[in-house]
Amino acid sequence: MKTTEEKTHPMIDIRGLRKCFGALEVLKGIDLQVAESEVLVLIGPSGSGKSTLLRCLNHLETPTSGEISINGERVNRTDLSARAFQRHLNRVRTHMGMVFQHFNLFPHKTVLENITEAPVQVLRQTREDARRTALELLERVGLLDKCDEYPARLSGGQKQRVAIARALAMQPSVMLFDEVTSALDPELVGDVLRVMEDLARDGMTMIVVTHEMGFAQRVADRVVFMADGDICEQGTPERIFNDPQQERTQKFLGDVL
Amino acid sequence: MLDWSVIFHYSPFFLKAAVLTLQISVISLIVGLVFGLVAALCVLAKNPLLQWPARFYVWLIRSTPLLVQLFIIYFGFPQFGLDLSPFWSGVLALALNTGAYNAETIRGGIQSVPAGQVEAARSLGMSAALTMRRIVLPQALRLIIPPLGNNFVILIKDTSLVSTITLVELTLTAQRLIGSTYKPFEMYLMAAFFYALLTTGATLLLKKLESRAAWSHA
Repeated sequence: MKTTEEKTHPMIDIRGLRKCFGALEVLKGIDLQVAESEVLVLIGPSGSGKSTLLRCLNHLETPTSGEISINGERVNRTDLSARAFQRHLNRVRTHMGMVFQHFNLFPHKTVLENITEAPVQVLRQTREDARRTALELLERVGLLDKCDEYPARLSGGQKQRVAIARALAMQPSVMLFDEVTSALDPELVGDVLRVMEDLARDGMTMIVVTHEMGFAQRVADRVVFMADGDICEQGTPERIFNDPQQERTQKFLGDVL
Repeated sequence: MLDWSVIFHYSPFFLKAAVLTLQISVISLIVGLVFGLVAALCVLAKNPLLQWPARFYVWLIRSTPLLVQLFIIYFGFPQFGLDLSPFWSGVLALALNTGAYNAETIRGGIQSVPAGQVEAARSLGMSAALTMRRIVLPQALRLIIPPLGNNFVILIKDTSLVSTITLVELTLTAQRLIGSTYKPFEMYLMAAFFYALLTTGATLLLKKLESRAAWSHA
């Protein structure tokens, strides 16, 4: 993926992204660029379109209009037949790891099998290679001893760290985090956030939808505040949290902090 | 009182008939499972050319009696040159019938797998077919084994209807022996006993399968 020549395009490039559910316009023409290794945190009231924006990136939601590119490659191509577009999507999705609020681990597979499933089935890695990578990742998220457990035996925080390892096993260029700590007991949030901070330090490009303002302040390179399907204000965490310009931002931060 | 001597004397006939009943059941079961799976996947497909024929099939079978379906295949089809033996007419009718009920069971099982499972698989780059095979169906299987088991038991009992198209299975065996023994109670009791034996065996096998399909113990 990475070349030695100078990059001329951002890692993620979103232009004029609109998404409607029936008559409801959830995203009203979003323009957003994310640079390589940038950690972008999306905040905003519920219903503001943060999750929908994230899900449009890997086409779990079909954008109504607009252009999305990752690493210079257009995601929502319109020049392909239905079959070819599905194949294109399957390939593009391997470049974007996604972690969900409700983990979505595969309950019929062990922790190790959860992680090796896609590398073996999609990337055609050998079982041994996939297993080696999976064990390294499990060590990294501190769950090596759980590799043969089924997800039902894990706590929420452990499940979410396995989900992160599962996404990382595809060696994605970008990681998308969709409110990954919202379903966790408060005492389990810290372990998950630590794994994400490590990832950010290692230079992973990340888009994080979260209500963890402490995490946003510590880890984000840029904070984007969304309201009513649009970007209301963006800037460095210092600027957004200490000196918000927009009234909507001031009110939201006043409510959550 | 019960005439045990006729029961012992004629039990080899019933044993032989039970083997035929079992053969019809097992073949219909396997074909019916394939019909059910294909129909369920078609009903769930977005393509209307797959969806509507499958829906029609399920509707048609579920809204007509099995006996009439059997007669149409055995007595009606030869009118159009499709002359199946009694055995294969019976198997086809039973497989089509149980297949429609299996389709509904399998469709329900697939739909009860949470959408998040599919999203997780697709976000990892897995194709729709791969997601169905590796993620959805194995999870649906655990949910559909008990109701599929019900369909199997019903299927075994429904094989008694093929007695009407000259297949000498348990029910027709009883009827024929009554003609020479004049012991309807004993003969039907024997038939009932062997049906119970077959259905109970099937139920026990399914219980085993069910416990093997359970993966989580939390």
